Amino acid sequence: MSVNLTPRMKDWFTENGAHIALATKTGFPSVIVAETVKAGDDTIRITLSSSQIKQIEQILLENPYAALAPGNLGSVRAPYQVKGTAKLWSDLLEIKVEEVYCTKPGAEAGIRLDTLGYDGMKEYEESRWTDLSPKV
Amino acid sequence: MAVLTEEMKKVLRVVGKGGAVVHLTTSSIDGKPNIVAERFVTHYKDEYILIADMFAQKTKVNLNENPVASISVAHPVKDHAWVFRGPCTVISNAAPDQYRWHDIVAGEVLNDWGDWVSKEPPDEVPPDIAPPKVAQRGVIALKVEEIYRFDAENAGQSVL
Repeated sequence: MSVNLTPRMKDWFTENGAHIALATKTGFPSVIVAETVKAGDDTIRITLSSSQIKQIEQILLENPYAALAPGNLGSVRAPYQVKGTAKLWSDLLEIKVEEVYCTKPGAEAGIRLDTLGYDGMKEYEESRWTDLSPKV
Repeated sequence: MAVLTEEMKKVLRVVGKGGAVVHLTTSSIDGKPNIVAERFVTHYKDEYILIADMFAQKTKVNLNENPVASISVAHPVKDHAWVFRGPCTVISNAAPDQYRWHDIVAGEVLNDWGDWVSKEPPDEVPPDIAPPKVAQRGVIALKVEEIYRFDAENAGQSVL
């Protein structure tokens, strides 16, 4: 079942790009980095370069699992990890969001946010952060 | 074996000393990746990277069954678009002093980096994202065996 991202999550991913972690089916990790992504409600889309496609296409054939975290300033201010299933359409990588975690260091590290529900995730964010958009 | 350059060593340290926040990627043995941003990072002995084990719950589960990881430079990146990959482990604060992992001796590394908050306090971290309390359990050590670029044009290209 897919999970809808909050506006804060979508904005921080879209504005700061993402580090996308993949792994072979035996767990050998590989990372690509996208400077810009399009974060929709339950789907994150990334246009890849030919070098990035070459790096990950074989991995995705054997294992579709992906984990994403915001890049750049988002790695500091937007402590999220999104997990889901990735599919490569020509040069477009599409990740269906299935799990969202908080990675804020401390006692809240590892909390699975999507279990709070959409409104619960928004309340969680609003009670902690005033920068609900990186543009503010 | 890859040896870190002086330029890489300047990046692989805490932001407050001119370094960068990094992302640490691990995976379960059946291929489910996990990625987390880390502030407490340093180079060590020319070919290792250390990260403080503060609250690394899933990371430790993964490393226990699948001891390999990647570290990617997250912020600021500038032209330091590097991913470091290699064997990785957790050296617990409770490890015997003589415990050895590759060229790392537990007593030595923990003496230097086992109380990271006192050594390099996170003064630059804004209060709304700083942990209210830190409790270091050890250090995560990665032996750098591969380095590749992640910028879109050169993604996957070996550096060393």
